[in-house]
Amino acid sequence: MTDPPAIELRGLSKRYGTGDGSVLALDRVNLSIAKGTVFGLLGPNGAGKTTLIKVLTGISEITDGEGSVAGFDIRRQSLEVRARIGWVAAEVILDDDFSGWENLWLQAKLQSLTGWEDRAHQLLDYFSLADRAQDKVGHYSTGMRKKLEIALALLHQPSVIFMDEPTIGLDVGTRRMLWDIVTGIHREFGVTVLLTTHYIEEADALCDRVAIIDEGRIIAEGSPSELKARVKADLVELETSDGVDVRALSDLPGVQEVRSQGNEWVVRVASSEEFLPRLFARVPTDHIRRISVEKPSLETVFLDLTGRRIGQDEPMRDVRKFYMQMRRARQ
Amino acid sequence: MRSQFWGLYVREILRTFRNPFVLLITVVQPFMWLAFFGSSFGNVSPIYLKGLFGTTNYIEFLLPGVLSTSMLSVGMFGSMSTIQDKRFGFMKRILITPTSKEIIFLSKALGSATRGLVQIPVMVVAAVAFGVSFGLSPLEWAAWIAGLFCLAIGFSSLFLAVTAPSTDWQTPGVVSNFITMPLMFASASLFSSSQFPAWMQAISDVNPITFSALLGRSFVLGRPIPWEYLGYLGIFAVGMLAIGYYVSARWLRVE
Ligand SMILES: Nc1ncnc2c1ncn2[C@@H]1O[C@H](COP(=O)(O)OP(=O)(O)OP(=O)(O)O)[C@@H](O)[C@H]1O
Ligand SMILES: [Mg+2]
Repeated sequence: MTDPPAIELRGLSKRYGTGDGSVLALDRVNLSIAKGTVFGLLGPNGAGKTTLIKVLTGISEITDGEGSVAGFDIRRQSLEVRARIGWVAAEVILDDDFSGWENLWLQAKLQSLTGWEDRAHQLLDYFSLADRAQDKVGHYSTGMRKKLEIALALLHQPSVIFMDEPTIGLDVGTRRMLWDIVTGIHREFGVTVLLTTHYIEEADALCDRVAIIDEGRIIAEGSPSELKARVKADLVELETSDGVDVRALSDLPGVQEVRSQGNEWVVRVASSEEFLPRLFARVPTDHIRRISVEKPSLETVFLDLTGRRIGQDEPMRDVRKFYMQMRRARQ
Repeated sequence: MRSQFWGLYVREILRTFRNPFVLLITVVQPFMWLAFFGSSFGNVSPIYLKGLFGTTNYIEFLLPGVLSTSMLSVGMFGSMSTIQDKRFGFMKRILITPTSKEIIFLSKALGSATRGLVQIPVMVVAAVAFGVSFGLSPLEWAAWIAGLFCLAIGFSSLFLAVTAPSTDWQTPGVVSNFITMPLMFASASLFSSSQFPAWMQAISDVNPITFSALLGRSFVLGRPIPWEYLGYLGIFAVGMLAIGYYVSARWLRVE
């Protein structure tokens, strides 16, 4: 007999608002996440990642469908669900006027825990926060705050932890540290982790399984290698000068598909090594402004499915969003 | 449930009294009230004062009223802490634990009423500094404080009920101000309502601040005590508590 899944969603939809201005943030999502998985939800801005976490944690009500977390119905057994989940917010939400220890104390009270102190000490040790436990959280560094937030999420020994964009806005070093932490807590504490991200490398490096979400729909799901194997093709992106139509290339051998956005083309080919010489034989090189070849990755999976990239114009937007959230959280 | 209530209640209290600025204001504000208002009648002849307020020391008259209006501001302050919690996401952190919305409401209401109680000793000491002498029996002290506590619970609940369903950060403030103004001035807290025009008197006559002010004044000035006012304040507290409880349970939202 197999264990029941940690998270199971059937036809789950979420609509914000009603009428004309409403937004369908989740569109009939079906998902089954096995216990003990590190599961990644990968998608661009506005895809519905945070919304999915909000409905699973009971912050927001679903509009349609069904869902269960840790074996309990998210709509009818919300209290049971909330006793079994931990939550790590993208923007790090702590009580800044309180010390690390007091934040743990409050979390213990809210989860009605008794005899939680030993575990709290353990967690503080595990995250190397023990010597700063009595300091006000407002004086912690970003990395320390993130670690304390994860400690809070683990205090009541949850079976599922939700992490919304756990590494957004962190520098490379802290990001690596956090990856190690996620892998570590998964191994050490046996929790199922559902994390959202729009970093390709993060999903690839960290997750056992990944669902790609776009405009509220899950458009692909599987292990990173399964997903990559699914593309079975290289993507050649090129930008041409005006008036050049490369659609005619689709009759070249090995070309599976040609898509365009103005002067930008994405050509899906069985092998770029065989395709490029044929391309240059057909299109004069001075008509090609830019060309790039991409081997299968989660990015090309997304590109392949949607014709867009996950992280178009990302870095700037990311940093700005992060600092906005930090400012709000710290004020 | 007890554990969750205790956690949130302690947080409310600590949060206030750890902030040195808040603490300072809590102490200084009553002195300012008494000093400014009390002095505004400083040059009025005692006979005139006696006719107007029934005492030659305006501060004696004022103290029970100022304490009563303080409970109004305390209630508003409590709902501001709810807005903050929503705004900085902490309300989400609370709601993602098995804590019910009712518990959140009760901890906020009681937390802010407690803050209100702290003002009483400060204000009484201030009044003594301004020359008021108190000849209250322990029972009278208890009744006075109980009345103020009811007022604080009532207003805290009222403002929390306004704040709970709201997801923006301005509406509750505007609504609260809108409620506060008439309640404060159309009451017997600062002046005797007998000099009000009829419409203001009508508000004042059902205004719980009036009942609390008159009850307190009867103790301080040694007038006959309208014990039924304490009952009225009790009903106000329980009624508002019920409304706040119900509204929070159904409509407390973070988005
Ligand atoms: N409270 C809300 N009210 C109305 N619409 C909302 C609300 N929250 C989110 N949305 C909309 O729902 C859609 C999904 O938003 P969501 O925050 O879930 O995206 P996301 O995948 O987390 O994006 P990001 O990577 O930017 O965090 C967006 O179109 C967004 O505008
Ligand atoms: Mg998000």
